[in-house]
Amino acid sequence: MRTLYKILWKDQSRNHLLWAFLGTVAGFVLLLGGIQFYLNIKNVLQENRDLLDPEYIVINKKVDIGQTLGLTTAGFTVEEIDEIRKQPFAREVAPFISNMFPVSAYTENERFPDFYTELFFEAVPDDYIDVKSEQWKWNREEGIIPVIIPQDYLNLYNFGFAQSQGLPRIPKEIISMVNVKIRLRGRAKFDDFPGKIIGFSNRINSILVPYDFLSWANKEYGYFENKGPSRIILVSNDPTNPEIVRFIEEKGYDTIREKLKSSRMNIILKFIVSFLVLLAAIIIGLAFLVFLLSLQLMISRSAEKIRRLSKLGYHYLEISRPYLLILFLLLLGVTLISMVLTGILTAKFSGLAAEWSLDIPEKIDGIIYITSFGLMLLIFLANMAGIFISTRRLCKG
Amino acid sequence: MIVRFEKVIPLPMIEQDTSGSGIWEAESVLFEQGKRYLAEAASGRGKTSLLSIIFGLRKDYRGVARIDDADIRSFSGKQWSELRKYQLSFVFQGLELFGDLTAYENIRLKNGITRHKTTEAIRQMSERLGIGTFLNKKAGILSFGQQQRVAIIRALCQPFSFLLADECFSHIDHANSLKTFDLITEECSRQGAGLILTSLDGTGNMKFDQRLMV
Repeated sequence: MRTLYKILWKDQSRNHLLWAFLGTVAGFVLLLGGIQFYLNIKNVLQENRDLLDPEYIVINKKVDIGQTLGLTTAGFTVEEIDEIRKQPFAREVAPFISNMFPVSAYTENERFPDFYTELFFEAVPDDYIDVKSEQWKWNREEGIIPVIIPQDYLNLYNFGFAQSQGLPRIPKEIISMVNVKIRLRGRAKFDDFPGKIIGFSNRINSILVPYDFLSWANKEYGYFENKGPSRIILVSNDPTNPEIVRFIEEKGYDTIREKLKSSRMNIILKFIVSFLVLLAAIIIGLAFLVFLLSLQLMISRSAEKIRRLSKLGYHYLEISRPYLLILFLLLLGVTLISMVLTGILTAKFSGLAAEWSLDIPEKIDGIIYITSFGLMLLIFLANMAGIFISTRRLCKG
Repeated sequence: MIVRFEKVIPLPMIEQDTSGSGIWEAESVLFEQGKRYLAEAASGRGKTSLLSIIFGLRKDYRGVARIDDADIRSFSGKQWSELRKYQLSFVFQGLELFGDLTAYENIRLKNGITRHKTTEAIRQMSERLGIGTFLNKKAGILSFGQQQRVAIIRALCQPFSFLLADECFSHIDHANSLKTFDLITEECSRQGAGLILTSLDGTGNMKFDQRLMV
C-alpha cells in the first residue's frame, strides 16, 4: 500500500496546497478569534449590567421649541405608552405621575436657617425605586410625607455649592433629621404636612414621594390640566439589547445616554463581529475552493495512473485513500494551528483587557472547539465527496 | 469459472469483415477454467478486444458476455475490482507499468493487494526470466522485452481463475518466450486456472487445449 501512496503523491503541486492551507488557517483564525472576541465582550457587558444599572431606563420626550411655546405636549399619550409596553425588550413600563397643584417647602427650626422653596413631586410605583425603607409609606393619620431626592442633589450641594460658599458639608444622616414643612395648595385651600427626606436615589433623577400619597393629593388639591406623564420608567430584560436605543431614537425620545452605553457598544460590537465573520466566511470559502481544486488537479494529473491502478484491481475507494490522507492531515494541521493561534490571541487580549480592569477569560470557549470541528468535518466531507466522484469516474472510464 | 460469449461482437467490428473468425462469428464461445486457449490472428482482428471485454475494460459490444452465467454488464465497480483482485489477471499489451517505480515496486503494487507471493518467490521468478538483476531499476529505463517480463511476473502475483495474456511475448526472443510460457503454465496449473493467450504467431512449440482463429 505504501507504493500506492508513493505513486499518487509524486509530482504533485505542493504550492497549491500550501496556499490553500495558509488561506484556510487565516480564515479560521479570523473566524474563531472573532467568535471568541464577541463572546468575551458580551460577557463583560452582561457582567457590568448591574454596575451600570440600566435595567431601569427613564424615558422622556425630547424638549423642543414647540413644547416651550405650548404647541406640542411633553407628555406621553396612552397610545404611546402602550406602544412602548408592546416592545419585545420591555418587561414593565410605568409612567411617572406628578403633582397637579403647587407645592412648596419651608423649615421652621431654631438650629437651621429659615428656608423656603417651590417644589415639584413625582411618583412611580414602589417597585421601581432603589431605596428600600420602612418609612416609605403614606399614612393619612400620621400625615408625614416621606421624600426621596436624587443622590446628585446632595452631591451638588456638598461638593459644589457648600465648597464654594464656605458652608459646611452635610452628611446624609443630618439631612434626614431635618424637619421640613410641606405646603400643598389648590382647590381654594392649603394644608401643611411634615416632610422627611428618607433616602437618596441613584436611579431616578427626581423628587419622589409615595405613589399613594400623590394620587390622593392630586385628587384632593389638583387642578392643573392633565397632560399625561412626561416621563416613563422602562424595565428591560436585556438592557444590552440594541433595539432599545434604536426604538428610542426612532421615536424621538430621550434618555440618559450613559445608561445605554452597553447597548450602543453591543450594536457596534455586533457590527464589527458580523463583518469579521463575513470576511472569515469569504476567506474560508475561497480556501475551501482552492483545496477542492488542488485535489482535483492532483487527481486529474494522476488520471492515467488511476486508470492503470483500476485495471490492476484497485477500487476507487482504495485509490481515494492517499488523497483523503493528505486532506485529513492538512485539515488537522489547519485546525491545530488555528486553535493555537486563537488561543494565543485570546491570551494576549485577556492580558490587554486586564489593564483596563476587564475580566476576560484566558482560555478559548468550548464553542470554538465545536465550531472548528464542525467546519472541518464539513470541509472534509465536501472534499471527500469531490475526491470520490473524480476517482470513481476515472475508474469507470 | 466459465466465460461464455453469446454472439458477442465489438461495435467497431460490425462493419468489418470478420469472416472465418471463431469468436465474432460464432453463436457461442466457451472458455473453461483449467484449459489453455490460444487466440491467434493478424493485427486488427480484435484479439485485444476479446480480452478487454472479459476483463470489463470494454463495454461497446453487442451480444452477451457471461462469467458463470452472470451478464458481465451487470457487474458493479466493486465487483470488477474484486474480480481483478482474485479471479482475473491480465498481462496488458501496453504493459501498464509505472515508469517511475522500480520493477520490484511495480510487482509489489499488485502483490500487496493479496500478498499472494513472498518476496523470495518473486525474486526466484525474476531469476528464471533473466531479469533478477533489474528488479531495483526503474521500470521506465528497462527495454520493452524486460518490461514485458516484469508485467508477466506482476500478473502472476495474485490468485486467479483465468489469466489473460495479450501478446505477452511480442518483444521476447523465442528461447526466453518458452521459459516464460513454462512459468505461466506452471502457475496456471498450480492455481487450476485457465489461460487465454493472444498472439500474432510464433507459438509453435507451446501446448494449448484449443486454438481459436479470431
